[in-house]
Amino acid sequence: MDKREELASAKAIETGFAQRGYICSPKIATAVFLAAKLRKPVLVEGPPGVGKTELAKTAAALLELPLVRLQCYEGLDEAKALYEWKYGKQLLYTQVLKEKLGDLLQGAQGLAESVERLHQFGDIFYSEEFLEPRPLLQALRQKDGAVLLIDEIDKSDYEFESLLLEILSDYQVSIPEIGTVRASSIPLVFLTSNNTRDVSDALKRRCLHLHIPFPSVELEERIIASRVPEVDDSLRHQLVNFVHAVRELDLRKLPAVSETIDWARSLLLLHASELDRELLEDTLNVLLKFEQDIETATSELPTLLRESLDEKRAAR
Amino acid sequence: MQSSLLRFIDVLRSHALPISPAETLDAAAAMDLVGYGDRQMLRDALAVTLAKSAREEETFRSCFDRFFDQQASDFSDVGDREGSEGSAAQDLEQESPGQQRAEADGNGESPGGGAGSADAGSTDEQRLQAAAGDSPALRDLLEGDLLPALLENQRGTLSAALRRAAAEAELERIKLFTQKGQFTRRILDALGDGDLRDAVLELEKNNSPALPTLRRYRDILRGQVRDFVEQQYLLHAEGRNDAFMDDILSQTRLANIDRRHVDRVRRQVRRMARKLASRHSSRRRRVTRGQLHMSKTLRSGIAHDGVLFQTHWRARKRDKAQVMAICDVSGSVAAYAGFLLMFLYSLQDVLPRMRSFAFSHHLGEISQLFEEEPLERAIELANWRFGGATDYGGSLRDFSRLALDDINRSTSVIILGDARNNRGDPELDIMHSIYQRSKQVLWLNPEPRQAWGTGDSEMPRYQSACNYSAPCGNLQQLERVVDQLLKSLR
Repeated sequence: MDKREELASAKAIETGFAQRGYICSPKIATAVFLAAKLRKPVLVEGPPGVGKTELAKTAAALLELPLVRLQCYEGLDEAKALYEWKYGKQLLYTQVLKEKLGDLLQGAQGLAESVERLHQFGDIFYSEEFLEPRPLLQALRQKDGAVLLIDEIDKSDYEFESLLLEILSDYQVSIPEIGTVRASSIPLVFLTSNNTRDVSDALKRRCLHLHIPFPSVELEERIIASRVPEVDDSLRHQLVNFVHAVRELDLRKLPAVSETIDWARSLLLLHASELDRELLEDTLNVLLKFEQDIETATSELPTLLRESLDEKRAAR
Repeated sequence: MQSSLLRFIDVLRSHALPISPAETLDAAAAMDLVGYGDRQMLRDALAVTLAKSAREEETFRSCFDRFFDQQASDFSDVGDREGSEGSAAQDLEQESPGQQRAEADGNGESPGGGAGSADAGSTDEQRLQAAAGDSPALRDLLEGDLLPALLENQRGTLSAALRRAAAEAELERIKLFTQKGQFTRRILDALGDGDLRDAVLELEKNNSPALPTLRRYRDILRGQVRDFVEQQYLLHAEGRNDAFMDDILSQTRLANIDRRHVDRVRRQVRRMARKLASRHSSRRRRVTRGQLHMSKTLRSGIAHDGVLFQTHWRARKRDKAQVMAICDVSGSVAAYAGFLLMFLYSLQDVLPRMRSFAFSHHLGEISQLFEEEPLERAIELANWRFGGATDYGGSLRDFSRLALDDINRSTSVIILGDARNNRGDPELDIMHSIYQRSKQVLWLNPEPRQAWGTGDSEMPRYQSACNYSAPCGNLQQLERVVDQLLKSLR
């Protein structure tokens, strides 16, 4: 993996990401670069909608590797994350093989010899053929490596975190019936967290930590330019400034980058060329997701609008 | 370079960033990978490996700027040797003397800061040379290293000498701000300030015209050293002092904590609460109802020829623990009640069903109040509403009317009070019925154990209706008790 020129330097990653429509700060690029070189997982934190999941997807696209995604939720256990035995198949085979048992034991003298013969066959029912790999094991078994995304780790239980420790530090899984399965090629691992609870120290220690804040005005403009290129410069400038002004307000949920993109798209559909009050009142629900927030923002609209337009003038 | 990194990590640790040796190795590897050429990237790389939360990252950034600005000259050496890009190294080099120059400016006129004012420097030198005729001390100085370096403003020589002197004085051991003067003096002596002082005295005696010039240089030197010590103090001691203060405060009786430290204690309570919360995350218990766990049932059935003897179930039931806190808010205990409630309310995530009551003369529920008002205000209001001579009996009667019916086997009742009942009826019966209905009753008493039962204290009698009673004079004890509570809720 580390021989790939896409990952040769942080700069290369930044441009590679940009070509695939993911505009990132140098910090993000540095983190990905280090993750690939040091072979460590990255724990990505930040408010929802700043592109945490997108980062993993883009990395997979850049490296042309399969993306294996594990969505965490309360009650997720190893049977769903790691592996499971194919019980149905095992059951079916025992039924089918029952008839073969007579042939097999023919001519055996006494119980001891019969058991001896059976022992020669080993544990066929607990072998690779009966193993159903789940995302974590799948990622380890990919021949050319993979990008493994463990999404919203903070939603899972503490027990599950401990389960991850072996995989994240040694890239291997112990299956009691078979033994240890090692990664054929070390995957690039991203864990994302929305910080609904603190991730345990043991897990944090094994990961590089990347905190993605809301982007700066300049960076967000580049993101919009890349994602919604049809929006013209002055409108883009206005809308990004407006979103930044809204983020200063005391809201339940601040608009993230994904909301800015959605909003830019809807403005485009409405053929807007400049922000005005009426347009804002109509489209604010794209940006804000709570009725209460929309009310707060509506009452502040004149100030917000003035600010975003003023900055435009200053920029000219 | 490695030693720079290690020293930097030491600084971070003193600012309460828990950095393990494994992370140190990561940081070293990251540093090798990104090189020292690009300061921004170096900072990002170290942040990614060393700071493990957004809060830690902030601390990291301020430490990084402070530490590597003063390390600038060390860095520029390496940058040159590496020969890579070098731009950041140059940035650093320019930044550092720039800062020094600014400091020098602050101390009066610049001593020939750049090439432009070289004339001024030479006149200074000439003036001193002229005066040196009468003063053997000054003559010695001019032949030494220090004064010519000052005159020509050789920043490299000066800062190297400064660092050497600081290392000799073991400046990195500075702990208290009162030591600043002492360290400044030691470093100045090591730099040869004594000779400078002698020369100034001699010039004063001779009434020499060069006196102001020499004095100015002396002041510049002193200013530089003082600033350097100040920087180092901030870097090495600030974090340690914080930890020291926290340590002391956690062992001080809560009622004695000074008003100006309340904020700090509050922060500490929050930190403790976070620690406890992560240790006691919600546990689940397996139950024998709900959706069938098919694969698990099949799996255990295989041993019985596919006959499903043993069933497994998918659903797990969350333990619904309920906590009721009853706090005495009369004057003597109010401070403790404040901290206990602060603690319990910081644990909202772990204690989802929490009701709180306050009493003094009579009792009332304050759960609502705490949701609406900030903590201090709520406690104040509660105090005002229920204040008066403490009456445990009456308050227990109020409590039994309000909430006794809601107490069941999953309820933990925490009572905080000094059990000083002003010789009234203790209503022990009600205590016993609470004890029998509930899962457990914890009694926290701010008084030390020896005082229980003295005077009008009813503590020994109430103790007979408690599963656990403990003094909670300081934060440490409080943390222990809450830990105990959470453990028992599993």
